[in-house]
Amino acid sequence: MLELDMRSGEPIYEQLVHQFKRLIIEGVMEVDEKLPSVRDLAGELTVNPNTIQKAYRELEAQGYIYSVKGRGSFVQQREEESSTIKVKEIKERIVPLLREAFYLGMTEEEAEEMIRKARGGSHHD
Amino acid sequence: MIEAVNIRKRFRSETIIEDVSLSVRKGSVYGLLGSNGAGKTTLLRMLSGILKADEGSVRIDGGTVFENNQVKERIIFLQDDLYFFSQYTPKQMAAFYKETYPSWDESRYQGLKYILGLDENKKINKLSKGMKRQVAFWLSLSAKPDVMILDEPFDGLDAVVRKTIKSMMLQDVAEREMTVVISSHNLKEVEDICDYIGILHKGKILLERDIDDLKEEFHKVQVAFRRGIEPVTDALSLVHKERRGSVYIYILRGDKEQIEDHFLSQEPVVFDQLTLTLEEIFIYEMRRVGYAEEDII
Repeated sequence: MLELDMRSGEPIYEQLVHQFKRLIIEGVMEVDEKLPSVRDLAGELTVNPNTIQKAYRELEAQGYIYSVKGRGSFVQQREEESSTIKVKEIKERIVPLLREAFYLGMTEEEAEEMIRKARGGSHHD
Repeated sequence: MIEAVNIRKRFRSETIIEDVSLSVRKGSVYGLLGSNGAGKTTLLRMLSGILKADEGSVRIDGGTVFENNQVKERIIFLQDDLYFFSQYTPKQMAAFYKETYPSWDESRYQGLKYILGLDENKKINKLSKGMKRQVAFWLSLSAKPDVMILDEPFDGLDAVVRKTIKSMMLQDVAEREMTVVISSHNLKEVEDICDYIGILHKGKILLERDIDDLKEEFHKVQVAFRRGIEPVTDALSLVHKERRGSVYIYILRGDKEQIEDHFLSQEPVVFDQLTLTLEEIFIYEMRRVGYAEEDII
Protein backbone atom coordinates (compact mmCIF):
# COMPACT_ATOMS: atom_id res chain seq x y z
CA MET A 1 0.00 0.00 0.00
CA LEU A 2 2.84 2.37 0.81
CA GLU A 3 5.96 2.63 -1.26
CA LEU A 4 8.93 4.60 0.04
CA ASP A 5 11.88 5.75 -1.98
CA MET A 6 14.91 5.87 0.28
CA ARG A 7 17.03 7.41 -2.46
CA SER A 8 14.66 10.30 -2.96
CA GLY A 9 15.52 13.75 -1.78
CA GLU A 10 12.08 14.07 -0.29
CA PRO A 11 12.14 13.37 3.45
CA ILE A 12 10.59 10.02 4.34
CA TYR A 13 7.94 11.61 6.54
CA GLU A 14 6.81 13.82 3.65
CA GLN A 15 6.57 10.80 1.39
CA LEU A 16 4.37 9.18 4.00
CA VAL A 17 2.21 12.29 4.31
CA HIS A 18 1.71 12.45 0.54
CA GLN A 19 0.89 8.80 0.19
CA PHE A 20 -1.59 8.73 3.04
CA LYS A 21 -3.20 11.88 1.67
CA ARG A 22 -3.62 10.24 -1.69
CA LEU A 23 -5.12 7.11 -0.12
CA ILE A 24 -7.53 9.28 1.83
CA ILE A 25 -8.43 11.62 -1.01
CA GLU A 26 -9.02 8.78 -3.43
CA GLY A 27 -11.15 7.03 -0.90
CA VAL A 28 -8.96 3.94 -0.63
CA MET A 29 -8.92 4.64 3.07
CA GLU A 30 -12.36 5.38 4.36
CA VAL A 31 -13.54 7.81 7.00
CA ASP A 32 -12.93 6.50 10.52
CA GLU A 33 -10.68 3.75 9.18
CA LYS A 34 -7.77 3.11 11.50
CA LEU A 35 -4.26 3.86 10.29
CA PRO A 36 -1.57 1.28 11.05
CA SER A 37 0.01 1.76 14.46
CA VAL A 38 3.37 3.52 14.54
CA ARG A 39 4.93 0.32 15.83
CA ASP A 40 3.54 -1.88 13.08
CA LEU A 41 4.32 0.54 10.31
CA ALA A 42 7.88 1.08 11.57
CA GLY A 43 8.39 -2.65 11.58
CA GLU A 44 6.80 -3.19 8.23
CA LEU A 45 8.57 -0.41 6.35
CA THR A 46 11.74 -0.58 8.48
CA VAL A 47 11.54 3.13 9.01
CA ASN A 48 12.29 5.00 12.18
CA PRO A 49 9.15 5.30 14.37
CA ASN A 50 9.86 8.96 15.05
CA THR A 51 9.57 9.56 11.33
CA ILE A 52 6.17 7.89 11.24
CA GLN A 53 5.01 9.83 14.27
CA LYS A 54 6.08 13.02 12.53
CA ALA A 55 4.06 12.09 9.45
CA TYR A 56 0.98 11.34 11.58
CA ARG A 57 1.34 14.65 13.42
CA GLU A 58 1.53 16.44 10.08
CA LEU A 59 -1.53 14.62 8.73
CA GLU A 60 -3.40 15.51 11.88
CA ALA A 61 -2.36 19.16 11.64
CA GLN A 62 -3.62 19.24 8.06
CA GLY A 63 -6.90 17.72 9.11
CA TYR A 64 -6.63 14.40 7.33
CA ILE A 65 -6.64 12.24 10.40
CA TYR A 66 -7.59 12.43 14.06
CA SER A 67 -6.13 10.53 16.94
CA VAL A 68 -7.80 8.94 19.91
CA LYS A 69 -5.57 8.57 22.90
CA GLY A 70 -4.61 4.96 23.46
CA ARG A 71 -6.45 3.77 20.37
CA GLY A 72 -4.57 5.19 17.43
CA SER A 73 -5.13 7.42 14.43
CA PHE A 74 -8.18 7.45 12.18
CA VAL A 75 -9.19 9.00 8.87
CA GLN A 76 -10.99 12.31 9.30
CA GLN A 77 -14.19 13.21 7.52
CA ARG A 78 -13.55 15.87 4.90
CA GLU A 79 -15.18 16.48 1.58
CA GLU A 80 -14.93 19.94 0.09
CA GLU A 81 -11.32 20.60 0.84
CA SER A 82 -10.11 17.35 -0.59
CA SER A 83 -11.33 18.34 -4.02
CA THR A 84 -9.59 21.73 -3.83
CA ILE A 85 -6.41 19.89 -3.04
CA LYS A 86 -6.90 17.60 -5.96
CA VAL A 87 -7.44 20.62 -8.19
CA LYS A 88 -4.17 22.04 -6.93
CA GLU A 89 -2.39 18.80 -7.74
CA ILE A 90 -3.83 18.73 -11.23
CA LYS A 91 -2.76 22.33 -11.78
CA GLU A 92 0.74 21.33 -10.82
CA ARG A 93 0.68 18.70 -13.52
CA ILE A 94 -0.87 20.89 -16.23
CA VAL A 95 1.34 23.93 -15.89
CA PRO A 96 4.60 22.24 -16.95
CA LEU A 97 2.83 20.63 -19.92
CA LEU A 98 1.38 23.95 -21.00
CA ARG A 99 4.75 25.58 -20.64
CA GLU A 100 6.21 22.97 -22.93
CA ALA A 101 3.39 23.37 -25.43
CA PHE A 102 3.80 27.15 -25.51
CA TYR A 103 7.50 26.72 -25.98
CA LEU A 104 6.86 24.49 -28.96
CA GLY A 105 4.64 27.13 -30.48
CA MET A 106 1.11 26.54 -29.31
CA THR A 107 -0.94 29.73 -29.23
CA GLU A 108 -3.24 30.88 -26.46
CA GLU A 109 -6.18 30.57 -28.84
CA GLU A 110 -5.36 26.92 -29.32
CA ALA A 111 -5.16 26.48 -25.57
CA GLU A 112 -8.57 28.07 -25.15
CA GLU A 113 -9.91 25.84 -27.87
CA MET A 114 -8.63 22.85 -25.89
CA ILE A 115 -10.33 24.07 -22.77
CA ARG A 116 -13.62 24.43 -24.64
CA LYS A 117 -13.24 20.93 -26.01
CA ALA A 118 -12.45 19.54 -22.60
CA ARG A 119 -15.59 21.16 -21.21
CA GLY A 120 -17.54 19.40 -23.94
CA GLY A 121 -19.66 22.44 -24.73
CA SER A 122 -19.66 24.81 -27.70
CA HIS A 123 -19.23 27.95 -25.67
CA HIS A 124 -18.37 31.12 -27.62
CA ASP A 125 -17.59 34.58 -26.36
CA MET B 1 19.35 9.33 26.90
CA ILE B 2 23.06 8.89 26.23
CA GLU B 3 25.30 11.81 26.89
CA ALA B 4 29.00 12.01 26.22
CA VAL B 5 30.73 15.22 27.18
CA ASN B 6 34.17 16.14 25.94
CA ILE B 7 35.53 12.63 25.92
CA ARG B 8 39.04 11.79 24.84
CA LYS B 9 40.87 8.54 24.43
CA ARG B 10 44.51 7.95 23.80
CA PHE B 11 46.38 4.68 23.34
CA ARG B 12 50.07 5.23 24.05
CA SER B 13 50.99 8.29 22.02
CA GLU B 14 48.14 7.97 19.55
CA THR B 15 44.97 9.97 20.07
CA ILE B 16 42.00 7.93 18.91
CA ILE B 17 39.16 10.09 20.16
CA GLU B 18 39.76 13.78 20.37
CA ASP B 19 37.18 15.73 22.28
CA VAL B 20 33.86 14.19 21.27
CA SER B 21 30.54 15.32 22.70
CA LEU B 22 27.31 13.81 21.61
CA SER B 23 23.87 13.19 22.94
CA VAL B 24 21.33 10.65 21.82
CA ARG B 25 17.71 11.23 22.77
CA LYS B 26 15.70 8.44 24.34
CA GLY B 27 13.90 6.54 21.62
CA SER B 28 16.17 7.82 18.90
CA VAL B 29 18.24 5.83 16.42
CA TYR B 30 21.60 7.49 15.98
CA GLY B 31 23.78 6.53 13.04
CA LEU B 32 27.49 6.95 13.64
CA LEU B 33 29.25 7.10 10.32
CA GLY B 34 32.92 7.19 9.57
CA SER B 35 35.57 5.59 7.42
CA ASN B 36 37.76 2.79 8.69
CA GLY B 37 40.01 3.99 11.46
CA ALA B 38 37.86 7.01 12.27
CA GLY B 39 37.51 5.85 15.88
CA LYS B 40 33.96 4.47 15.76
CA THR B 41 34.65 1.29 17.67
CA THR B 42 36.62 3.08 20.37
CA LEU B 43 33.86 5.63 20.78
CA LEU B 44 31.20 2.92 21.03
CA ARG B 45 33.26 1.04 23.59
CA MET B 46 33.35 4.15 25.74
CA LEU B 47 29.62 4.74 25.30
CA SER B 48 28.92 1.22 26.48
CA GLY B 49 31.29 1.42 29.42
CA ILE B 50 33.87 -1.12 28.30
CA LEU B 51 36.56 1.48 27.99
CA LYS B 52 37.05 4.40 30.31
CA ALA B 53 37.48 7.77 28.69
CA ASP B 54 40.79 9.48 29.58
CA GLU B 55 38.87 12.71 29.98
CA GLY B 56 35.24 13.69 29.94
CA SER B 57 32.17 11.71 30.97
CA VAL B 58 29.69 9.25 29.51
CA ARG B 59 26.29 9.03 31.15
CA ILE B 60 23.17 7.09 30.36
CA ASP B 61 20.04 8.57 31.91
CA GLY B 62 22.28 10.50 34.27
CA GLY B 63 24.29 7.53 35.55
CA THR B 64 27.96 7.02 34.74
CA VAL B 65 28.40 3.98 32.54
CA PHE B 66 31.90 2.77 33.28
CA GLU B 67 31.95 0.04 35.96
CA ASN B 68 28.35 0.73 36.87
CA ASN B 69 26.37 -2.50 36.74
CA GLN B 70 23.03 -0.87 37.29
CA VAL B 71 23.43 1.05 34.07
CA LYS B 72 25.22 -1.72 32.19
CA GLU B 73 22.49 -4.30 32.70
CA ARG B 74 20.24 -2.05 30.65
CA ILE B 75 22.68 -1.85 27.74
CA ILE B 76 23.47 -4.32 25.03
CA PHE B 77 26.67 -3.76 23.11
CA LEU B 78 27.02 -5.82 19.99
CA GLN B 79 30.66 -5.78 19.04
CA ASP B 80 32.03 -5.98 15.56
CA ASP B 81 33.89 -9.18 16.45
CA LEU B 82 31.30 -11.18 18.32
CA TYR B 83 32.21 -13.07 21.41
CA PHE B 84 30.57 -16.26 22.62
CA PHE B 85 31.82 -18.67 25.25
CA SER B 86 33.47 -21.53 23.44
CA GLN B 87 31.47 -24.75 23.31
CA TYR B 88 28.24 -22.91 24.19
CA THR B 89 24.94 -23.37 22.40
CA PRO B 90 22.40 -20.54 21.98
CA LYS B 91 20.37 -22.15 24.74
CA GLN B 92 23.30 -22.02 27.18
CA MET B 93 24.10 -18.45 26.15
CA ALA B 94 20.45 -17.58 26.74
CA ALA B 95 20.69 -18.92 30.29
CA PHE B 96 23.70 -16.68 30.85
CA TYR B 97 21.90 -13.65 29.41
CA LYS B 98 18.90 -14.36 31.59
CA GLU B 99 21.12 -14.07 34.67
CA THR B 100 22.78 -10.92 33.41
CA TYR B 101 19.78 -9.02 32.14
CA PRO B 102 16.79 -8.62 34.49
CA SER B 103 14.66 -7.52 31.53
CA TRP B 104 15.16 -10.87 29.71
CA ASP B 105 12.01 -11.92 27.88
CA GLU B 106 11.76 -15.68 27.54
CA SER B 107 8.71 -15.67 25.30
CA ARG B 108 10.45 -13.37 22.88
CA TYR B 109 13.44 -15.69 22.86
CA GLN B 110 11.15 -18.57 21.94
CA GLY B 111 9.35 -16.50 19.32
CA LEU B 112 12.57 -15.40 17.66
CA LYS B 113 13.81 -18.96 17.56
CA TYR B 114 10.85 -19.68 15.33
CA ILE B 115 11.21 -16.52 13.20
CA LEU B 116 14.95 -16.90 12.61
CA GLY B 117 14.72 -20.65 12.31
CA LEU B 118 17.86 -21.38 14.30
CA ASP B 119 18.72 -24.48 16.29
CA GLU B 120 19.22 -23.57 19.94
CA ASN B 121 21.15 -26.76 20.68
CA LYS B 122 23.85 -26.42 18.08
CA LYS B 123 27.25 -25.14 19.19
CA ILE B 124 27.62 -21.52 18.20
CA ASN B 125 31.23 -22.06 17.10
CA LYS B 126 30.01 -24.41 14.43
CA LEU B 127 27.71 -21.82 12.87
CA SER B 128 28.56 -19.63 9.90
CA LYS B 129 29.55 -15.99 10.36
CA GLY B 130 26.12 -14.72 9.36
CA MET B 131 24.35 -17.19 11.63
CA LYS B 132 26.55 -16.20 14.57
CA ARG B 133 25.42 -12.68 13.99
CA GLN B 134 21.83 -13.81 13.98
CA VAL B 135 22.38 -15.57 17.29
CA ALA B 136 23.84 -12.36 18.68
CA PHE B 137 20.74 -10.44 17.63
CA TRP B 138 18.50 -13.18 18.90
CA LEU B 139 20.02 -12.91 22.36
CA SER B 140 20.22 -9.12 22.30
CA LEU B 141 16.62 -8.58 21.27
CA SER B 142 15.43 -11.08 23.85
CA ALA B 143 17.26 -9.17 26.58
CA LYS B 144 15.02 -6.17 25.83
CA PRO B 145 17.64 -3.58 26.68
CA ASP B 146 16.86 0.13 27.04
CA VAL B 147 19.94 0.96 25.04
CA MET B 148 21.41 -0.95 22.13
CA ILE B 149 24.87 -0.06 20.88
CA LEU B 150 25.76 -1.80 17.65
CA ASP B 151 29.10 -1.81 15.89
CA GLU B 152 28.75 -2.53 12.16
CA PRO B 153 25.89 -4.89 12.98
CA PHE B 154 24.62 -5.90 9.56
CA ASP B 155 27.84 -7.20 8.02
CA GLY B 156 27.35 -10.69 6.72
CA LEU B 157 23.56 -10.77 7.04
CA ASP B 158 21.41 -11.44 4.03
CA ALA B 159 18.72 -8.96 2.99
CA VAL B 160 15.81 -10.91 4.46
CA VAL B 161 17.36 -11.39 7.89
CA ARG B 162 18.55 -7.81 7.88
CA LYS B 163 15.02 -6.60 7.31
CA THR B 164 13.60 -8.89 10.02
CA ILE B 165 16.12 -7.65 12.56
CA LYS B 166 15.75 -3.98 11.67
CA SER B 167 12.03 -4.39 11.89
CA MET B 168 12.16 -5.95 15.37
CA MET B 169 14.51 -3.26 16.59
CA LEU B 170 12.28 -0.51 15.29
CA GLN B 171 9.25 -2.00 16.97
CA ASP B 172 11.13 -1.83 20.24
CA VAL B 173 12.03 1.75 19.52
CA ALA B 174 8.36 2.54 18.88
CA GLU B 175 6.98 0.59 21.77
CA ARG B 176 9.48 0.98 24.59
CA GLU B 177 11.50 3.96 23.37
CA MET B 178 14.63 1.88 23.14
CA THR B 179 17.63 4.04 22.26
CA VAL B 180 19.94 2.81 19.53
CA VAL B 181 23.41 3.83 18.44
CA ILE B 182 24.54 2.11 15.30
CA SER B 183 27.85 2.50 13.55
CA SER B 184 28.52 1.93 9.90
CA HIS B 185 30.92 2.93 7.20
CA ASN B 186 28.04 2.88 4.78
CA LEU B 187 25.32 5.50 4.92
CA LYS B 188 23.00 3.44 2.71
CA GLU B 189 22.98 0.64 5.22
CA VAL B 190 21.53 2.74 8.02
CA GLU B 191 19.81 5.77 6.52
CA ASP B 192 16.39 4.13 6.54
CA ILE B 193 16.30 3.44 10.26
CA CYS B 194 18.19 6.42 11.69
CA ASP B 195 16.65 9.74 12.57
CA TYR B 196 19.96 11.31 13.44
CA ILE B 197 23.37 10.99 11.86
CA GLY B 198 26.82 11.90 13.17
CA ILE B 199 29.99 11.73 11.15
CA LEU B 200 33.19 10.82 12.94
CA HIS B 201 36.46 11.57 11.27
CA LYS B 202 39.93 11.27 12.76
CA GLY B 203 38.55 11.17 16.27
CA LYS B 204 36.24 14.14 15.93
CA ILE B 205 32.55 14.53 15.17
CA LEU B 206 32.44 16.65 12.05
CA LEU B 207 28.74 16.87 11.59
CA GLU B 208 25.66 15.91 13.54
CA ARG B 209 22.22 16.39 12.05
CA ASP B 210 18.59 15.35 11.99
CA ILE B 211 18.07 13.50 8.68
CA ASP B 212 14.76 15.15 7.81
CA ASP B 213 16.12 18.61 8.52
CA LEU B 214 18.99 17.93 6.16
CA LYS B 215 16.76 16.71 3.38
CA GLU B 216 14.48 19.70 3.74
CA GLU B 217 17.32 22.14 3.71
CA PHE B 218 19.01 21.15 0.47
CA HIS B 219 17.60 21.28 -3.03
CA LYS B 220 18.89 20.52 -6.47
CA VAL B 221 17.38 22.21 -9.48
CA GLN B 222 18.14 22.58 -13.14
CA VAL B 223 17.27 25.78 -14.91
CA ALA B 224 17.71 27.08 -18.42
CA PHE B 225 16.77 30.30 -20.14
CA ARG B 226 16.37 31.19 -23.75
CA ARG B 227 19.68 32.02 -25.42
CA GLY B 228 21.56 30.48 -22.53
CA ILE B 229 21.29 33.49 -20.25
CA GLU B 230 22.56 32.76 -16.77
CA PRO B 231 19.84 32.92 -14.10
CA VAL B 232 20.02 35.49 -11.35
CA THR B 233 20.77 33.75 -8.06
CA ASP B 234 21.83 36.65 -5.86
CA ALA B 235 19.11 36.19 -3.26
CA LEU B 236 19.74 32.46 -2.86
CA SER B 237 22.18 30.49 -0.79
CA LEU B 238 24.23 28.58 -3.34
CA VAL B 239 26.11 25.48 -2.35
CA HIS B 240 27.17 24.31 -5.74
CA LYS B 241 26.81 25.44 -9.34
CA GLU B 242 27.38 23.54 -12.52
CA ARG B 243 26.81 24.34 -16.15
CA ARG B 244 25.97 21.79 -18.81
CA GLY B 245 25.52 23.52 -22.11
CA SER B 246 22.83 26.10 -21.54
CA VAL B 247 21.41 24.28 -18.53
CA TYR B 248 22.46 25.38 -15.08
CA ILE B 249 22.39 22.96 -12.20
CA TYR B 250 22.28 24.36 -8.70
CA ILE B 251 22.45 22.92 -5.26
CA LEU B 252 20.87 25.33 -2.84
CA ARG B 253 20.03 25.65 0.80
CA GLY B 254 16.75 27.09 1.88
CA ASP B 255 13.02 26.88 1.53
CA LYS B 256 11.82 24.79 -1.40
CA GLU B 257 8.96 27.06 -2.41
CA GLN B 258 11.03 30.18 -2.14
CA ILE B 259 13.61 28.69 -4.48
CA GLU B 260 10.90 27.61 -6.88
CA ASP B 261 9.30 31.07 -6.88
CA HIS B 262 12.65 32.70 -7.36
CA PHE B 263 13.41 30.82 -10.55
CA LEU B 264 9.89 30.67 -11.95
CA SER B 265 9.51 34.44 -11.68
CA GLN B 266 12.38 34.75 -14.16
CA GLU B 267 10.39 32.65 -16.64
CA PRO B 268 12.81 29.88 -17.44
CA VAL B 269 12.49 27.54 -20.40
CA VAL B 270 13.45 24.61 -18.24
CA PHE B 271 12.95 24.28 -14.52
CA ASP B 272 13.12 20.96 -12.74
CA GLN B 273 13.61 19.85 -9.19
CA LEU B 274 16.12 17.02 -9.19
CA THR B 275 16.50 14.43 -6.50
CA LEU B 276 19.32 14.84 -4.08
CA THR B 277 20.39 11.78 -2.16
CA LEU B 278 21.38 11.93 1.46
CA GLU B 279 24.84 10.90 0.39
CA GLU B 280 25.21 13.91 -1.89
CA ILE B 281 23.95 16.20 0.85
CA PHE B 282 26.55 14.89 3.24
CA ILE B 283 29.30 15.34 0.72
CA TYR B 284 28.35 18.98 0.23
CA GLU B 285 28.01 19.54 3.95
CA MET B 286 31.44 18.04 4.49
CA ARG B 287 32.90 20.34 1.88
CA ARG B 288 31.25 23.27 3.56
CA VAL B 289 32.91 22.47 6.87
CA GLY B 290 36.19 22.16 5.05
CA TYR B 291 36.56 18.49 4.17
CA ALA B 292 37.03 17.64 0.57
CA GLU B 293 37.43 13.90 0.94
CA GLU B 294 34.41 12.25 -0.52
CA ASP B 295 35.25 8.86 0.86
CA ILE B 296 34.52 9.86 4.43
CA ILE B 297 31.01 8.49 4.24
